[in-house]
Parts: sequence; structure tokens; C-alpha cells
Amino acid sequence: MTLLLQLIVAGIAVGSVYALIALGIVLIYKCSGVVNFAQGGFAMLGAFVAYAFATHGLAPVLALAGAMVVVGAVGALTQVLVLRPMLKAPVVAVMMATLGILITFRALCLLVWGPDQIAFPPLFPAGAVTIGGIFMTYNYVAAFLLSMALCAAFLAFYRYTRIGLMQRCAADNSHAALAIGIHVSNQVTIAWVASSALAALGGVLLASLNGLSVGIANIGLVAFPVIVLGGMTSLPGAVAAGLLLGVLQQLTDGLLTPALEGVLRTYTSIYSVGALQQVIPYALLVLVLFVRPQGIFGARASERV
Amino acid sequence: MSLRQIMLVLAAAVAAALLTMTLGRFGAFIVYTVAIAATGALALNLLIGWCGQISFAHGALLGVGAYTAGNLGNAGADMSVALIGAGAMTGLVSVLVGLPALRLRGLYFGIATLAAQVILEYLFKLLEPLTHGISGLLIEPAPLFGLAVRTDRAYAAVAIGVLALCAIAVSRLMQTDLGRRFLVIRDSEMVARGMGINVARTKLWAFLISGFMAGLAGGLLAFTTRIAAPEAFEISLSVDYVAMVIVGGLGSIAGSIVGACFVVLLPETVQRLGELVGISGQVSAIRDLVFGLLIILFLIFEPRGLASLASRSARRLVAFAARRRAPGDTRPASDKGKTPLKAA
Repeated sequence: MTLLLQLIVAGIAVGSVYALIALGIVLIYKCSGVVNFAQGGFAMLGAFVAYAFATHGLAPVLALAGAMVVVGAVGALTQVLVLRPMLKAPVVAVMMATLGILITFRALCLLVWGPDQIAFPPLFPAGAVTIGGIFMTYNYVAAFLLSMALCAAFLAFYRYTRIGLMQRCAADNSHAALAIGIHVSNQVTIAWVASSALAALGGVLLASLNGLSVGIANIGLVAFPVIVLGGMTSLPGAVAAGLLLGVLQQLTDGLLTPALEGVLRTYTSIYSVGALQQVIPYALLVLVLFVRPQGIFGARASERV
Repeated sequence: MSLRQIMLVLAAAVAAALLTMTLGRFGAFIVYTVAIAATGALALNLLIGWCGQISFAHGALLGVGAYTAGNLGNAGADMSVALIGAGAMTGLVSVLVGLPALRLRGLYFGIATLAAQVILEYLFKLLEPLTHGISGLLIEPAPLFGLAVRTDRAYAAVAIGVLALCAIAVSRLMQTDLGRRFLVIRDSEMVARGMGINVARTKLWAFLISGFMAGLAGGLLAFTTRIAAPEAFEISLSVDYVAMVIVGGLGSIAGSIVGACFVVLLPETVQRLGELVGISGQVSAIRDLVFGLLIILFLIFEPRGLASLASRSARRLVAFAARRRAPGDTRPASDKGKTPLKAA
């Protein structure tokens, strides 16, 4: 039982980072219909920028804030320089362009910081709390609290502020938004800034949990099962699905893999099931897509002729 | 494609193969790498460009072909048998990958193929009896129709031959009823359904054919590299193939080949240049950087691909030549360039 709870706690910590990344992708998709494959790249960039700030003597919290500002600016630049000129391009070309952005960011980070894993400066005090026999490092607690706070702040911003309202208008119906005088293009830029800043935070948290390397960019791929499970257009859905998948991965790693390997070793020559926890989200994704194509939280859109 | 055009393609293929014979080992290596990539790009273009179904799983599908061909070849099969077996197996797997396309559309389906890529990659590592896990499957050279194929030049000739056959097959296919159905589905599934087209069955045909060609490419890759290992068929390979199709031009045979040239030759060129300048340590990062930046720039300025750029500049050239030939022509500019040529 303790093991189970322990795994769930770890899963929630990682899952809350997934939620941050997924939230950003959903935001851009809702606003502009662009699927941003570069989100993992923004996360990686955020982690490296924070690392650079921290090694130049900035306090960890300031480094984190600085990284969010810098990456937010990079997000705005990306949208203005790359996505705006491609307004009329085919959808696949836009998808490919975001993949190109991902490749570019990865290569840049490789050039500057090299391929090796770097120890990330501790953001939060080392140590742990124990609640009811469950061991939680401050890192986990902080990652969870910080990302949930930001998700909540973000959802509230979207729900209650004037800009949030304009964002929702632009996402809901861009023509109608234009007609009532909302500058949709600027709204999309704002969405990119917000989502890349969220990704930067996610990247920094991930680096403080697992160490810093260009491999952080791969989190963008894990985010896709998350957003589909969450229903692509639902912001709370993305958060819930992120937590769910994080827990599922940890449970697979801690419980399913050993059990499965035990069975396989007795009956077949297969010795290890490898990184099963990386495949589980996708297996679940395929299952969900067959049963409920619009995702768990998504609304079914009807097609217009 | 008329008989005459088919003969032309075959003649071009034979000429290319003969030309390769004059090249050194490295030249031949480049030729077969491009030809194999072009075959795979053509397979993917059939899906994306003609049938409108995106796939991020073609890297893994190539892997299925490579493992199948490798196992058949190691068991003593002729290369032709191994390649066709690889095509058939990959076609079947491709149909499985395409199954979600019956219920999903667009982005959702793209993500489902991403899932297929990840799951297949995992299976390559897991099914050790067939794939030898992460260490990779070593592949013995197999004879083609009883003839030994071992040198780079021979592989180049075989790869060019397969590419030519695939190009002819695709262009014939697009003139059949099935090919036209692909186009209708690409443009609007609702219209297709309204016309009485069985959308599900047609899509699965597209996946079967595309998978078959991807399997051929994967099989060739296995025989030329002599090893099939999981890290060769990762998601980045799928991304490379999507890049080839989009850079080359959606729904264009020539575009698939040009796109393959671009994606294969660009890193190779940067690598060479890097070694010349003496920055070989950072060369792979610089290569990726140039690749990423060029793709972005290219898509901003030419989102419809090199094929469209080529045909547009050809039209301009013709118009320019016509203007030179008919000075003092007073008709509107849009009419220029067509009639004078006919008259001439």
C-alpha cells in the first residue's frame, strides 16, 4: 500500500509537469489551429536558459523567472517570424515548420551545452517530508505545487480577465472575433508567449527532477497522448490527463514491469520488457481513440459542409 | 502515364544506373541512399499528398521492412523474395497503423500514427528472437535472381530499379479508379461518401500500397547497411520522411525524389564542409541546425514544395523565352508565352 501511494505521489509530480506542457499545446491549438510539435523544444530551452542564469550567479528563483521571460520572448519571436508568414500554408507544412523549430532548438542547445547530462543547480532546498509513511522530497512537492499553482492561475486568467476573454473569443471563432474588433493575430502571439513560458517552467521543473540534457525535448512527444486523452480543446482536461498519465507511468514502472518481467522470464526467452512506461501512454492513447475519439474530456465537434 | 513515358522513365533509370557505374564507392553510396529514401518518400507521399492521410509512422514501417527482409535473407531467400516479403509484411502492418484512420481524422489520426511509431519502436527492442533487440540484426548479403549483389554499385543499380518501378506504379495507380478515389478522399471525405465511395476500404488500400513500398525501401536499407537496429528507425526518421515529402512537394513523384535528395544530401554536404573547415567535433549539431533552419525558411517561402517552385520557374522561363522571341508584342502579360510558342 505504501509502495502504491509512493508511486502515485511520484506520478503526480511528473504528471503535473506534463500538464504544464500539454496546457501550452492546447492553448496554441485552440487559438490558431496549429499543432505545436516544438513545445518540448521550448521546455528544453527554458531549462538550459535557467541553468545559464543560475551558473552566472543568479538566485534559483530569479533564474526560473528569467528563463520564463526569455523563452516567452522566443515564443513570441517564433510566432511572428515563422507562423505568421505561414498563415495560408497547408496544415502539414505548418506542422513540419514546428518540427523544424524543434530540430533547430535542439541543435542550438547541443552546440552550446553539449550532449552530456548536466547536474541542475538545486532550485529548492534538499530534504524531504514524510507524511503517513510516504516519502516526498521537496523537489516533488515543489514541482507539484508550482505547476498546479500556475495551471490554476492560468485557467483563472483565461476565465476572468479581459485578455482571457479576448483569447477565448479568438479561439472560439476567429472571424467573429475579428468582426467585433479583436486583433486575432496579436491574440495568437499572446497565446504563444503564454504557452512557451509555461513550457519553460515545465522544462526547469523536469530538469530539477531528472537532471538536465537535450533529452528534455522528448517531453513534447509525451504531451501528445496527454492532450488527446484530455480532449485537445479542453484546458482542464489537459491538466487532468497529464496527472493521470504521470501516475500511470509510475505505476507501470514500479508495479507492472516487474510483474510482467517475472511472467515473461518463466515462460519465454525474453528477459526484459525495456522502457514499458514510455509506451504505456501511447497504448492507452490508441485504446481511447478507438473507444472515444474525442478524448475523455473533449466535446464532439460536428462537421460542417 | 503513357507507354512512351514509361519507356522514358525506364531509360532514365538505366542511364542513371549506368552513370553510377562510373562513380566511386562514395558516389554509389550516395546514389543508393538517395534512391532508397526517394522510394520511402514516394510511399509516404502516396498517403499524405494523394490520399490526405498524414503518417508519422513511416520510419518504423521502414524498420518492419528491414527486419523482415533481413530475416528472410538470412534464411537463404533470394533478394527479390526477401524484398517482396518485406513489402507484404510492411503492407499488413501499415494497414494496422491505418485502422484508426477509419474513425479519426486529421490531427487525431496524426497522433495515432505517432503512437504506432512509438509502439513499433518498442517492439523492435522487445521481440529479440526476430530482431536481436538493441544490438541489432546482422544481415548477410543475398543474391538477386541468383546473381551476387555485394558492391555499392550493384546496390545502387538495384535501388534505382526499385525506385523506377515504384514511380511507374504510382503514376499508373493515380490513373485508375482507385487512384481517383484517393484524390476525392483527400479533398473531402464527405463528398467521397456522397459519391458512394467506400472511404474505409479505400483508405486501407492506400495504407497497404504505401506500406508495401515502404517495406521495399526498408528491405533495401537492410541489405545495403547490413544491419537493422532499433535506433535507425526512430521517430526522427519518420520526421525526415515527412520533411522529404513536404519539402519536395505534396502529390508529386518528382517532388518525392527531389525532397529525398534535399534531406539526404544536405546533412552530407554540411558534414563534408565541416570536416574541411575543421569543426568536426560539433558537426552533427551544426548539421541539425542548418537542416532545421533551412526547413523553416523553405516552408515560409515555398510551403508547396520544390516541385511547385520548379514548375513555376519553368513556366516563367518559357514566358521569358517567348517574350524574347516576339518583341513588340502588345498583348497583356498573362497571355504572353503561350500562343507564340504554339505558332513557332
